[in-house]
Amino acid sequence: MKSRPLDRIFLYGSVIVVCGLLVFPIYWLFVTAISTPDQLRALPPKFWPETPRWEVFGQILRDRPILLWLSNSALAALGSVVLSMTVSVLAGYSLSRFRVRGGQSLGLFILTAKMLPATLLVIPLFGIFRTVDLIGSLWSIILAHATLIIPFTTWMLKGYFDTIPRELEQAAMVDGCSPFGAMVRVILPVSAPGLAATALYGFVLSWSDYAYARTFLTNAQSNWTANLGITTMKGEYISNWADISAASILVALPVLVIYLFLERYLVGGLTAGAEK
Amino acid sequence: MKSGFSLDLARPSRRHWLGYLLLAPAVLLIGLIILYPLIVSVDLSFQNVNLARLDQPRRPFTTANYERLFASPDFWNASWVTFKLVVIVSFFCFLLGLGTALLVNNRFRGRTLARLLVALPWAVPEVIAVVIFAWLFDSSFGLMNWIFIKLGLIDTTVNWFSSPGAAFFVVCVTMIWKGYPFVSIMMLAGLQSIPEDFYNAARVDGANAWQRLVNITIPSLMPVLGVTLVLVMLWVFRDFSIIYVLTGGGPLKATQSLSIMTYEQAFGFFRMGYASAIGVVTLIVCVIASRLMMGRAPDNI
Repeated sequence: MKSRPLDRIFLYGSVIVVCGLLVFPIYWLFVTAISTPDQLRALPPKFWPETPRWEVFGQILRDRPILLWLSNSALAALGSVVLSMTVSVLAGYSLSRFRVRGGQSLGLFILTAKMLPATLLVIPLFGIFRTVDLIGSLWSIILAHATLIIPFTTWMLKGYFDTIPRELEQAAMVDGCSPFGAMVRVILPVSAPGLAATALYGFVLSWSDYAYARTFLTNAQSNWTANLGITTMKGEYISNWADISAASILVALPVLVIYLFLERYLVGGLTAGAEK
Repeated sequence: MKSGFSLDLARPSRRHWLGYLLLAPAVLLIGLIILYPLIVSVDLSFQNVNLARLDQPRRPFTTANYERLFASPDFWNASWVTFKLVVIVSFFCFLLGLGTALLVNNRFRGRTLARLLVALPWAVPEVIAVVIFAWLFDSSFGLMNWIFIKLGLIDTTVNWFSSPGAAFFVVCVTMIWKGYPFVSIMMLAGLQSIPEDFYNAARVDGANAWQRLVNITIPSLMPVLGVTLVLVMLWVFRDFSIIYVLTGGGPLKATQSLSIMTYEQAFGFFRMGYASAIGVVTLIVCVIASRLMMGRAPDNI
């Protein structure tokens, strides 16, 4: 195919314009964070501050319990991912390899569970957690996030195990492995990329939640997650957009970093099972 | 082979105790944190309950919540808002997602970077996306007012969050920006699975770029397109965080979707029974709509 130079210029031009426009809101968040308040009120707006306020990140970490929020978010994500992955790996493997009575109904129920609106499930969970005194505890959102994660991970992992040839286990069992041993020693190591992708996806789901944290943790300041903390800042500091932006960058950073460096895994998990 | 090995994974019929054992933890946990709460909420929706306490005796069965719901103008307003959101946001997510996917599917230097950048908003948590757009559309110093005035689209600064139409517009823009990367990622994966030979053959036959798009690309993408459309619509239909943090459903309920209404009734007014009824209706609509749209391939959702 002959490629005319005009086509090339047009292509590069549109790529730059499109990427620029779509990423601009993130750039603007960054510029806002490092601008001084009076620069933010300048007209015409400054697209790069005259005196970048790099110290804003250190300052916001000192002024606000952001590290506490981040570690709460991390704990919740870790807890819910470990919990969800444990049950999903076993269930996904079973759904992929065994014909179990009721397995199909379970699969269908899990699919329906994906459609559950969080705003519906949050009501009975609130009642249940109040009865067992979990409101305000990180366990409440670990369990609630598991309701978001398990339906995704179980199905993703089943799809992933389906792509692994059964001959692998058969060979292992001929060599003397028990069926369970074949799964643990042969299939799980081979599935490491799939497991990593699924776990990362679960992490992102948990990290991005706001509804459950808002409902269960609002009155427990020491357990606020990052997203919940940010919204409280938005509520009280109507004018201090620089601080809110700086805090937002710190909160968005983990997912952005995961995405930038492990995009291949994440995207693999995202599209798995949808391309049929 | 040892005699204990009656398990043959290659045979179609393979009932085995291990299969049940491996499923047990998932069944237990799903039963406990998804199925049981779901039953509780359906049960709540048929009671006149205000504060949900499970240790109290059950209230008498009533369909009053549903009767009140269908007679309530707020419910029909929320349904209309949700419908508008689903149509508008899904449409533009698709336009933008498909467009960007086609763009970065070309061969050019730096396309790895372009692919990363084009889907970057996917990695921004919803609450942070709201912070970004709340500030962009700030009434006094927001950048969008300045840009729109420069472009001649508006005469004076607009107070985006106090006018119903403007607030709805901002909600749409935020959701589209947050939602299109998912479409882009899915479409790009779909595009990469189309064999290059199809295009070469079409070129030999003299098909131009538009004909190749309409006759090869779009039909090949159809299966992925369908699944993605359902997933995006479900996301818009149920989304809570973006609207709640951005506008809280206001002004004048202009952005109050069914999710927002459910939450407000439950945790603003503590009408748990009534709120559950809205949630149950939402779920039923989700399930029916996606079943209808998916047709014969329900295992893809």
